[in-house]
Amino acid sequence: MRARLRGVLALAALAALAAPASALAHATLVRESPSLRERLERSPGRVVLAFDQSVDAVRDSIVVLDGRGRNVAGPARAVKAERALVASLPRTLPAGAYTIRWRALSSDGHVASGVSTFGVRHAAPPVTDAVGAQGPTRAEDVVRWLYFVALALSVGGIGFRLLVVRGPLPPRAERRFYWLTGIGAVGALEVGILAFLLRAEDALQLPLVDFLYGDLSSLANGTRFGEAFIAMTLGYALVIALLYLAWLTERRVLLWGAFAVGLAFASGLSLSGHSAADAGRSWLSELADWAHLAAATLWVGGLVQLLAVVWPAAPALRREAFLGFSRLATVLVALLVAAGTYLSVRRFPHVHDLWRTGYGHVLLVKLALVALALAWGAAHRFLAAPRLAREGGATTLGARLGRSLLGESALAMAVLLLAAVLVDSKPPPRPAPQPPAAAQPPGR
Amino acid sequence: MIVARIQPPAEMVHWWFATGFLVLGLLLLAEAVVGEEVWARRPWRRYLWPGFVFAMGILMFPVMTFFTSSTIHMVAHGTWAQVMLFAGGAELAVARGKLHSPRWRLCSAAALAVSGVAFLVHEQNDWLFSRAAFLHHVLGWTVLVCAVFPLVQAFRPRSTAAALGFAATFLVVAVLLYCDRDTAPIFGHLSYEAGVPHR
Repeated sequence: MRARLRGVLALAALAALAAPASALAHATLVRESPSLRERLERSPGRVVLAFDQSVDAVRDSIVVLDGRGRNVAGPARAVKAERALVASLPRTLPAGAYTIRWRALSSDGHVASGVSTFGVRHAAPPVTDAVGAQGPTRAEDVVRWLYFVALALSVGGIGFRLLVVRGPLPPRAERRFYWLTGIGAVGALEVGILAFLLRAEDALQLPLVDFLYGDLSSLANGTRFGEAFIAMTLGYALVIALLYLAWLTERRVLLWGAFAVGLAFASGLSLSGHSAADAGRSWLSELADWAHLAAATLWVGGLVQLLAVVWPAAPALRREAFLGFSRLATVLVALLVAAGTYLSVRRFPHVHDLWRTGYGHVLLVKLALVALALAWGAAHRFLAAPRLAREGGATTLGARLGRSLLGESALAMAVLLLAAVLVDSKPPPRPAPQPPAAAQPPGR
Repeated sequence: MIVARIQPPAEMVHWWFATGFLVLGLLLLAEAVVGEEVWARRPWRRYLWPGFVFAMGILMFPVMTFFTSSTIHMVAHGTWAQVMLFAGGAELAVARGKLHSPRWRLCSAAALAVSGVAFLVHEQNDWLFSRAAFLHHVLGWTVLVCAVFPLVQAFRPRSTAAALGFAATFLVVAVLLYCDRDTAPIFGHLSYEAGVPHR
C-alpha cells in the first residue's frame, strides 16, 4: 500500500513537472496600448493590456481616470486568444493626462495589478504623479534621511580614510572603519530598496496583499526615480563588493574603486531630484546638486569617522587626522555653500518665496542650522586646530574636542534630515513665461 | 525604457543561475570527494566556490532590479542576492584566513534557511497547483532542509557526509532551476497531449 502511495506521488510529481504550467512568475504585462506615458493626439478608443499568459478579468480590471478622478473606461473583458484585457474608451477624450489602473487574475490565482499613464494632447505624467498618488510622506522623509546618513557613512567614511588618514591604522581603528563604512554601504542598498517600495506603494495605491503582486515596472522603467533606483542599487552592490574585497585583501586600490563608484552613483539622487526633473533644469543644476551632495557626504562622513574611529581607537592619530580634516572641510564647505547658493537661486523665482512657501520655511531652518554648523566648524578650524597642533591629541583638549565633535555630528545629522524633507517637497512654482508682446504699430 | 529593451527572458536568467549552481555543486563535490587537504594543495582552489557564491550574489542584484513585474519577486530576488553575498563573503574570509572559526559555516546554514523560507513564502499555492508551484515548494523545502548540512559542518568540519550533502544541495537546486518555465527544454513539454501551453 505504502509503495503504491509512493508511486502515485512520484507520478503526480512527474506530471506536475511535465504539465504545461504557467511561468514561474505570475502573469506579467508584456505590452500595453496606449504605452506607458504615451502622448496621443486623439482618444485611443480602447485600452489593451497583453500578458505573458492568459488572464481573467475581475471587478474594475481596467479603470481609466481623468484628472478629476472619474473613470472614463467601459467594463473590461478578457480576450483569451490575445492573452489580453481590453476596455473601451469614448471616441473623444478631452485633452489632459489619464491614469490607467489595472488588475488581472493570473492562472495561479493571484491578482496582478499595475498603473500606467498616457496623455491626450497633453504630456503624460510619471506614475508617481498618477491620479490617486499622494506624494512623499513623512515616512519617506525619514527613509531619505537614512539614505543620506548611509551615503555619508560609506562614501564619506571611505573618502576620509583615503584623503585624510592615509597611513596604517591600529587594528581596532581599522576594524571600526570597515564596520562603519560597511554598515553605510549595506544601509544605502537596503534603504534604497525600502524607498523604492514606499514610492511604489503610493503610486499603485493597493492594499498590502495586492501590493505583493503589484507590477513595479512602470515605476522602475518609466520614471527617473526608478531608473535612479536601478543604477544606485547596482552601484552600491558594487561598492559593498569592493569594500569587502579591500578588507579581505588589504589592498588600498580597491578602496579607491569603492570611493569612485560610490561618489559616481550618488549622482543618481541628483539625476532624479528637483535639479533634473523640475522646470529650469540644466546640466549645470544637476552638477551643482551632485557637488552639494558629495561635499555634504564627505563632510558628515569625515566627522563621524573622527568621532567614532580616530578619537576612541587611534588617539595617537588625533592631531594629524583633525588637522587634515580641517583642511579638507574648508574646501568642502566652500563647495557646499557655492553649490547650495546656486541651487537656491535657481529654485526660488522670488526672494519672498523664502518666507511665503513651505519649501522656503524648511530651507530657512536648514540655512540656520548650516550657519550654526559652519560656526562650529570655524571654531574647530581657527581655535581648536592651532591648540591641538601645539599640545597634541592625548590631552584634556583632546577629550573636550571629542565631545565637541559629537555635537557637530549631531547638528550635521539634523541638517541632513532637513535636506531629506526638502528633496521630498515641491519647490515654489516658476512663473509662466509671458506671451510675447503684440507687435506695436509703426509710429506709436 | 532602455531596461525593457535589454532585458533577457526570465527563463534564460533562471538557466544561467542554474548553471552557476551546477558549477558550484560540482566544485563542492570535488572538494568533498578528494578531501580538504588535497583540495587545498593549490591555494587558489580554496577561493573557488566561496568566490563563486559571492559573485553570484552580486549578479543577482541586476535580476532584482531589472525584473520588477511583482513586488514579491523583487523582494525574494533581493533576499537571495544578499544571502549569497553574505555567505560567500564569510566563506571567502575563512579561506583567506581573515576569520578563523569553523562556526562561520553557520552563515551558509543561515543563508540556505533564509533562501528556503523566501521560496516558500513566495509561493502561496498548493504543491500540485501548477509546475511553478511544485518547483517553488520543492526548491523551498530542499534548500530549507539542506541547511542542516552546513549546520553540521560548523560543528563537525571533517564530516564527509555533510560535505557531500552540501554539494548535493546545489546540484539539486541546479536541476530544479533548469526545470523552470514551461518553455524549458528539460522536463518541458513532453507531449502536446499535456495541454495547450500558456506561452
